[in-house]
Amino acid sequence: MKKYFTQTYKWLDERLDLTSLSHFIEKKYVPVHSHSIWYYFGGVSLFFFLIQVLTGILLLFYYKGSADLAFESIQFIMSKVQFGWLIRSIHAWAANLFILSVFIHMFSVFFEKSYRRPRELTWVTGVLLFFMTLAFGFSGYLLPWNKLAFFATKVGTDIAGNVPIVGNIMKGFLRGGDDVTGATLSRFFGFHVALFPGIFTILLVIHLVMVQRQGMSEPLEIENAPQAEKKSMPFFPNFMLRDLLLWLIVLNVLAILAVFFPADLGEKADPFSSAPAGIKPEWYFLFMFQTLKYIPAKIFIMDGELLGILLFGLAGLLWMLVPFWDTQSSKGLRNRKINYIGLFAVGFIIVLTILGWVS
Amino acid sequence: MKRKLLLIIPIFFFYFNPSNVLAADDQCYTCHSALEDKESKLFAGDIHFKKGISCSGCHGGDNSSEDNEVAMSKAKGFIGVPKGDKITEVCAKCHASEKMMKSFGSKLPVNQYDNLINSVHGKSSTVSSTRIVNCTTCHTAHGIKSVKDPLSPVYATNIPKTCSKCHGDANYMRTYNPSLAIDQYTKYLTSVHGKLNSKGDPKPAQCASCHGSHDIKPVKDIKSKVYPVNLPYTCSKCHSNKEYMAQYKIPTDQFEKYARSVHGKALLEKNDPGAPACNSCHGNHGAAPPGVESISQVCGTCHALNAELFSGSPHKAAFEKKGYPECETCHSNHEIVTATNKMLGVDKGAVCFRCHQDQNSNGYKSSLMMRSLIDSLDDTKQSAIVLINEAEQKGMDVTEVKFKLRDINQVKLETRTQVHSFDPKKFKDIVDKGLVISADATADAKLAIHEYYFRRVGLGVSVFLISLLAFGLFLFLRKIEKK
Repeated sequence: MKKYFTQTYKWLDERLDLTSLSHFIEKKYVPVHSHSIWYYFGGVSLFFFLIQVLTGILLLFYYKGSADLAFESIQFIMSKVQFGWLIRSIHAWAANLFILSVFIHMFSVFFEKSYRRPRELTWVTGVLLFFMTLAFGFSGYLLPWNKLAFFATKVGTDIAGNVPIVGNIMKGFLRGGDDVTGATLSRFFGFHVALFPGIFTILLVIHLVMVQRQGMSEPLEIENAPQAEKKSMPFFPNFMLRDLLLWLIVLNVLAILAVFFPADLGEKADPFSSAPAGIKPEWYFLFMFQTLKYIPAKIFIMDGELLGILLFGLAGLLWMLVPFWDTQSSKGLRNRKINYIGLFAVGFIIVLTILGWVS
Repeated sequence: MKRKLLLIIPIFFFYFNPSNVLAADDQCYTCHSALEDKESKLFAGDIHFKKGISCSGCHGGDNSSEDNEVAMSKAKGFIGVPKGDKITEVCAKCHASEKMMKSFGSKLPVNQYDNLINSVHGKSSTVSSTRIVNCTTCHTAHGIKSVKDPLSPVYATNIPKTCSKCHGDANYMRTYNPSLAIDQYTKYLTSVHGKLNSKGDPKPAQCASCHGSHDIKPVKDIKSKVYPVNLPYTCSKCHSNKEYMAQYKIPTDQFEKYARSVHGKALLEKNDPGAPACNSCHGNHGAAPPGVESISQVCGTCHALNAELFSGSPHKAAFEKKGYPECETCHSNHEIVTATNKMLGVDKGAVCFRCHQDQNSNGYKSSLMMRSLIDSLDDTKQSAIVLINEAEQKGMDVTEVKFKLRDINQVKLETRTQVHSFDPKKFKDIVDKGLVISADATADAKLAIHEYYFRRVGLGVSVFLISLLAFGLFLFLRKIEKK
């Protein structure tokens, strides 16, 4: 047996140069310190992405992306397909947990200032991945073609239509017409299962390659500590097995959530019915939605909603470019302002989300 | 003295008759009556003349001038003979003014003008640019009488004829609505209302009683007094009035009963204009109670299948022989309630038992069998519902099973129809169909409940295995990290 294994390895090594790869892995170490726990959220996010890909492919076997059949096909998945209910419930729960995990991962990186030189591009690709995650959530939400999703998409695309200059073009492009119709569903389906996964995978590969090439970032105080005081663990097998252990725990949580709180389907979308009272977007968009509600209709001569959208756009851009304007952290100096900005952002998101939830 | 007294009496009556006093001062009337023209002759009997209103009240001019050049000059406001819509406007000068009407001691409503112009008759005429109807069309001119005067064309017993002048004229009515019937008057004469009316009784309903007078709306207008949803209330104005109906010696509880009936609830509570109103069974212009022989025909216009099955059943001949009204015998008339299982069978409340009391008779046995069949269908449906509710409470998807429940309801509806054949075998065939669906729904509901427990058990096993793997991994990690 060992003989066959050695022969196969040799055969592959000749062609793929596995020895140099194993040397790279052997030499790879992960810093160990009091903030090491945050390293795991990158891995957990990756795990959720893999679950989404797997369950998404399984759902694709039965899902039909047209206004006439989408709702019924999901009804079929939920009631007739063997374990269809479980796959859909896991897909729905993992989507939410994926976004939550990406939020945590991004903010932990921000507070640790791990975006500082030379990891600027890792941060930029990470923020782009975060935006893509939200785009996945927005496009996937419409696919069951139920009443709530239909009107939430209407509100969401209306907001997109308020973006200056390109708003109307963007709205028309997203909707595939003047209103949310079957054409919108078709293109959202296309975005969700083809375009976004393609872009996401490219960005993810770049992000992971850079993480591997640059290694794990150490917090400033650890980085500046003497070499003798620094602790680390081998990436393989220690860190990888720890990651795996966490993935198993997450899998258990997912299974429990999917069985005890299976994904709801609601009523089929009816474009001629009135919008349900108090319609709200998914929780990850709630803070933006609530903020737009609080902004007065007119601020001086400017439209309130437009101003809100511009501010969120600007905030997103500044967030993505933080490594380039936080020069102090890149020089290895402490920058408390960044912590305050981060705390404000976390507090703002939490408070506005709660307000949106209870209103 | 006696001769003097005889002279005084006519002089007294001449001078103390207000019309004569006013007429003496009214130069219009003085001249026109001297000419003995038709208008002045008619005007002598006109209610307006009696109230002291001069010709100039409508035609304008100066009624105090003896010079007809001055009296009928435009400078004095003379308008000549008003035509078309002008007629209505001339009448409205007083009849739409509360102050004016009070000055003549009249208590007539002052909204007739508004009502008329907003009514179906206030629309444009097809023959001229005026409204279809103006005041004189119904009330005539110069000889206008009080509506309480039997000589008035709008007196209760004259109204049907007055209306039929236009509504019975095919050539005229065709210009407005070619599909509108023109036989209302003919039908009316055959109705109970019409018969009494033509005998000179002003109390029974005539055209204005149901359609209104000045405010008549098209039948399809929801504001019309005869729009289906409003019709029972219109009929009940008279038919629920005990005092008014006393002399006709008929019950006055029809509306009360109808409102409780399945038809009344559909029409009055659910506002379903397709539900039968009074006229659906009694007719409208030819309103009369349907005779014993025609009841099934009347009900059969809507309940066609039930009527057909009944006609082919043994009850048809039996009812005819006994002189029983077909549908009414079991379902009553105004208070027809939703049919329940209790109507069937041999319990004391069951309608079958009223006739079929002999335990050895076929009727007794058949009704007993049909009752037990329909009860069994209900029982199995109820058991299925309990299981479906349990599955739903457990969070399982029961949409499809609930559709099967609808099929059971459909079967039940079929049994409600089939029962009119009074054929136990045919009845059983339909019930059996329902029992199969019911059993199917029960099995599906049980499967959903089983699936619920299977998921829980499956979750337990999975969580245990994953946890075991995680624990093994944890131990392995501890082992390698100790080294």
